[in-house]
Amino acid sequence: MNNYFKEIFKGVWEKNPTFVLGIGMCPTLAVSTSVSNAIWMGIATTFVLLCSNILISTIREYVPSHVRIPIFITIIASFVIIVELTLKAYQPSVYKALGIFIPLIVVNCIILGRAEEFASKNTILHSILDAIGMGLGFTLNLTVLSAIREILGANKLLGYQLIPGMKPALLMVLAPGAFFTLGLLLWGMNVIKARAALFKRTE
Amino acid sequence: MEIKILFTILISTIFINNYVLSRILGLCPYLGVSKKLDSAIGMGLAVIFVMTMASFFTFIIYKLLLLPYHVEYLRTIAFIIVIATLVQFVEMIIAKISPSLYQALGIFLPLITTNCAVLGVAVLNIDSGYITQQYGLLYSVTQGFGGGVGFTLALIIMAGIRERLELAFIPENLKGLPITFITAGLMAISFLGFSGMKLF
Amino acid sequence: MNTFQMIKAILVLTIIGFIAAFSLSFMNKLTSEPIAKQDQEKKLLSLSLVLPSYTIQKENTVTIDGQPFTYWEASKEENSVIKKAYAFITEEKGYGGTIQSIVGIDDTGKILGFTILSQSETPGLGARCTEITSNETFFDHFFKSNITNTEAIQWFQVQFQGLDTNKPINILKKGDWNNTIKDALLQQNAITAITGATITTKAVTLSIEKGAQKLKKALTLHEVKQ
Repeated sequence: MNNYFKEIFKGVWEKNPTFVLGIGMCPTLAVSTSVSNAIWMGIATTFVLLCSNILISTIREYVPSHVRIPIFITIIASFVIIVELTLKAYQPSVYKALGIFIPLIVVNCIILGRAEEFASKNTILHSILDAIGMGLGFTLNLTVLSAIREILGANKLLGYQLIPGMKPALLMVLAPGAFFTLGLLLWGMNVIKARAALFKRTE
Repeated sequence: MEIKILFTILISTIFINNYVLSRILGLCPYLGVSKKLDSAIGMGLAVIFVMTMASFFTFIIYKLLLLPYHVEYLRTIAFIIVIATLVQFVEMIIAKISPSLYQALGIFLPLITTNCAVLGVAVLNIDSGYITQQYGLLYSVTQGFGGGVGFTLALIIMAGIRERLELAFIPENLKGLPITFITAGLMAISFLGFSGMKLF
Repeated sequence: MNTFQMIKAILVLTIIGFIAAFSLSFMNKLTSEPIAKQDQEKKLLSLSLVLPSYTIQKENTVTIDGQPFTYWEASKEENSVIKKAYAFITEEKGYGGTIQSIVGIDDTGKILGFTILSQSETPGLGARCTEITSNETFFDHFFKSNITNTEAIQWFQVQFQGLDTNKPINILKKGDWNNTIKDALLQQNAITAITGATITTKAVTLSIEKGAQKLKKALTLHEVKQ
């Protein structure tokens, strides 16, 4: 049981897609303007990641190596279209808020990367755990980033005002704010890792 | 058709709504290739070509294939297939013409397929409503070209800055991605100055 | 890569292609009805917002200046008199893209309600046209049980109510709108612009004026036909 938790947790900390592996940054920066956008994007991406991981892992024996990338892309794109249509039909406000980033889930490096590196070489169960872990890590990244940006940049959280009458720092919800926030968070991660390494060495 | 409109599209995609610094698309190659100026220029030219041709072909496929048969919802899959094919094509050309550039770009050349900016501009062309306009194809191709030029511009500026950052004193924990992002943020602020610009 | 491998590759790709095509067209069938229903609901909702307490009688589409123009006729009974009102959708290119809005006016040309349906203006500047000002905070909403004094209004849109479309709408610069400057503005048939977003404000005002003109033309056409 412990092993399973480790597999999931790996996607959150050790192999965090944005902060450690450095993939999937376009949506992380662009969609993190509000926490509700972030959570929905995380749900959508995790769904696509889960389904594609399961399917690719199931058919991994039958996929010829030279055409594997087109096959993966077709599978991922199909699931993205399913998500697109579902959101358009049942959550139109979310569909409008996420805009072009829903079809852009197809080119999210995380999904293709995990399909290529993990799902095509591991069992279905492990692929499921990997997908859950990566999706969770991605969603957490998005949520943390968007919480910072929404609170500082729009004086809101989940769409509701925080401190009445205070004018927020608009820059944070625009592109520069995204870059700065991620840069400073990455700096923080590096500091934490350096301290941890120092600890290990002095033990 | 007015040249005015083409000019407006070019200025807005290159400066006002720069794909990297304003729309935050195309980050992966932006961060990966911007270490050296030469490979940045080479990558930029490849992206301009792919984005322009992708705009052309995806527009045609949408108008002549997807719309008449009412399968617009298949656009994501159709577009990505077109882009993947184009990138394969560009790869072969570059391998033949300049093997050194091919080596320098390495893994990032096939990664143009997963460049958010390329698929982004294809989808944006449709969402901008060019399908119903008379010169829609021309506007879309211009938007693709402008997007590529904007990407290349941002890439070249970033490469120039990063080459100098190599020689500057940077605290250990800020080296690499953190300082690059902060630099990108400062560049984004400067490009923000273009918004609110009234053209004509 | 020999022939067998190539055939196998093509076969696998084709099978996957077919499966994808079938599942996607199935999804499309499943979701096409809710999607169509949504447009309908949105239209009805915005109509009820701009024509409060009126019942919609008819929807007409006519061609004015070569472009299709849709307007609705509505009526309500007040003091045993039937009052008529109209609503129309109008759009104009703003700064970032097209701003589409719906306007409700009564038979004297006075604006009853105005709602912006879609816009893609700059956040913090033009996008403030759909900004909601409210006194309710995050903590009020989630943690307090008795919520009082939560008046949420979209100030930019609310200020158009009561304006006369027979006269040009003046644009003044008095900062954000609030109840205290309401009467002064209405006297001058004016609105206050969004600070730093004059283009957006002008676009919206122009779209209302143009739409009102088109409505007049459409109504005279209608009368001529009858």
